[in-house]
Amino acid sequence: MRLKSYLLSGAMAILMLVLLVAPAAAQQPVKLNVWSSPDNADALTELANLFMEKNPNITIEVSPISWEVLYPQILADIRAKTGAFDVTTWDLMTAGSIAEGMLDLTKFGEEHPDLVDPNFDAKDFIPTAWHVYGMWGDKNIGYPFYGATMFLFYRKDYFEDESLKAAFKEKYGRELAPPATWEEALEVTKFFTKSENPASPTEYGITLMFPRTHTLFYMYINWFAPLRRSEEGIKKFGEVDLDWGDLFTADRKPAFNSPEGVKALEMMEELMKYSPDPLGSDYGETFEAFGKGLAAMIPSWTATLAGWQDFPEVSPVKEKVGVAVIPGGYPVSGGWGLGINAVSKHKEEAFRFVQFATSKEGDKLQWMKYRVGPTRYSVLQDPEVLADSPWLGEVYTKSLENASHRPRIPEEPKLEDLMVGTLSEILMGQKPDKAAALEELAAEWEKILAGE
Amino acid sequence: MYLHSRVSAIILILPLVLVLASLTIYPFLNMVYMSFHNYDLAKGGDPKFIGLGNYLAIFKDRLAISSVEFTAILVVIALPLEMLFGMGIAWLFRNLIVGERFMRSLVLLPMMVPAVVAGIAWKMLFNYNFGPLNYFLSLFGISNISWLGDPNFARLGIIIVDLWQWTPFVFLVLYSGLQSMPAELVEAARVDGASSWAVIRYVELPILAPLIGTVLIIRLIDLLKLFDIIYMITWGGPGSATHSFSYYIYKVGLSYGWDVGYASALSIVLLIVVVFLVNLLMRVLRLRALLEL
Repeated sequence: MRLKSYLLSGAMAILMLVLLVAPAAAQQPVKLNVWSSPDNADALTELANLFMEKNPNITIEVSPISWEVLYPQILADIRAKTGAFDVTTWDLMTAGSIAEGMLDLTKFGEEHPDLVDPNFDAKDFIPTAWHVYGMWGDKNIGYPFYGATMFLFYRKDYFEDESLKAAFKEKYGRELAPPATWEEALEVTKFFTKSENPASPTEYGITLMFPRTHTLFYMYINWFAPLRRSEEGIKKFGEVDLDWGDLFTADRKPAFNSPEGVKALEMMEELMKYSPDPLGSDYGETFEAFGKGLAAMIPSWTATLAGWQDFPEVSPVKEKVGVAVIPGGYPVSGGWGLGINAVSKHKEEAFRFVQFATSKEGDKLQWMKYRVGPTRYSVLQDPEVLADSPWLGEVYTKSLENASHRPRIPEEPKLEDLMVGTLSEILMGQKPDKAAALEELAAEWEKILAGE
Repeated sequence: MYLHSRVSAIILILPLVLVLASLTIYPFLNMVYMSFHNYDLAKGGDPKFIGLGNYLAIFKDRLAISSVEFTAILVVIALPLEMLFGMGIAWLFRNLIVGERFMRSLVLLPMMVPAVVAGIAWKMLFNYNFGPLNYFLSLFGISNISWLGDPNFARLGIIIVDLWQWTPFVFLVLYSGLQSMPAELVEAARVDGASSWAVIRYVELPILAPLIGTVLIIRLIDLLKLFDIIYMITWGGPGSATHSFSYYIYKVGLSYGWDVGYASALSIVLLIVVVFLVNLLMRVLRLRALLEL
């Protein structure tokens, strides 16, 4: 009897201890190290603060790291398996290199159904965004965080000017409108170039950036993708593989060493004549040229729009600058995913945080406050968002749905540098035989892909 | 007693040796080791021994070859010009009677500007549309120059920026040499009827020779390693016009490939070239000194 009462008391004591300790263990303070590219950092910090308010036992430290450093740092960490970061933003082009070291979020959610936010709604993401900012092959290495493609920004005030519209119609027999194709773009560009049309309000029709940097690589895709994805292009090259991108055929061979690749370059060359110093200009120079009223059109990224507020020539921006889909209809994509280190010691907390940061509320907040591009349909159809930025409804959605892509394979940086070198030499006129130069480049690409 | 002091000395030096070994010797030996391996961070996997494969690949790599070309152009053009201008300004300043201190500070200013700031400033000066340089040239009827889009002008641009930034260093060293030169030697030469040129040629230049040699070696090493202003201004373009060898190593190792093995081999080659050229220069200078004796 006494033994029984001892045992019962002992069991009660253990139970009480467990009941006391278990919640305390669950509330153990946890620190998440979050690495972020600087352009995402402010939005991610605010989301982290909101998350910490709801989860006081979790501390999140967001470290902004420049792209150049962030990528090798992620690579070094996942190769060494040190777990220096728990969560990181990753550029869509790095997917193939980092996939091995990232946590498969779909699989993790299936293994931990209690951690899955019932309102997360993965089907709400634009399908292209879901893949390029979240998938590598079949592995779900992140959730879409920062949607970005290129757009054609144009001088809305000039395109709506009645006398200019009449003059354009008289000359070209059609209405003046943002060009839908690169052929149309050439006509509009000439119309707005003073040397071609002395009545033009701008010196140049367009301002282009073709420097010897990664800029030239993605710019080329804006011209090549419409040809690659045309009916004929699909017949010839096959469907686009979202991991290998538009520069490859469906069977993963270079596609640009073709008449389509040459034509894309010829169209670029033709437009260069009506742009100020395209080979010497990058993002900053073209941004300034458009902002100071030197050109009527500019292909560029979303962030430029907010930056022009400070330029009197194009302010107020809402009245003077219009946004259209890039001519040809297949703008090149940029953007970032948000993923978890496979060797993180705090995967559960990290999983809850990445769901929170990429939720519908997070997606809306980051656009409205920080102009970090949304990736969810619900946000792109939100009345408040559309009242603030009407162009998101059609132009942005269409651009992201039809975005063209750079390769996301591990060899991408090397392929990119070789291509930029060759394209730069072609556009400078140092390699007049474009077809031969592209053939030579394709052979170099094949060698790299073969591991030679 | 001797043994005791010897042990104490070793204990005192040991931390320094360990720091040096871990920060300098180990990374260097690791670089040598990696240069014989195929190791690409982007692809993962373990380093694979490939013997001289990385070194042989350099001879077939057109970008590596063109980066050697541009580095050679830099050395051949920028180095003598910097020496000439630096020396010229030093001699001019020696004869400056008024405002010497103010002017000296002004001349030294470019050297003190961080390369990042200098790069941004020069990129703005070179701007095709709004750059002051093109505006200034337009006053003489010269139409806008594409400083960053034309290969020849881009190369010229990099040389101009290097001259602007590092001629003051040459000036600084040689000017301090001239300042500390014994006045009686010059005066004695003048009393003997030597012309100004003769004073420079036979009195001042021989005394300054060791300083000139030192500056020459420092600038040679710096030019062979030139990276920052290229990174800030041209990114090696247009085409491969302004790829220096150091910039190319950075691209292979960090910017475009994380190809640790190949970048290590390129770095070893640069190191060998620098050591060889510096030794050669030192021997030439020593030989000249001996001949003059």
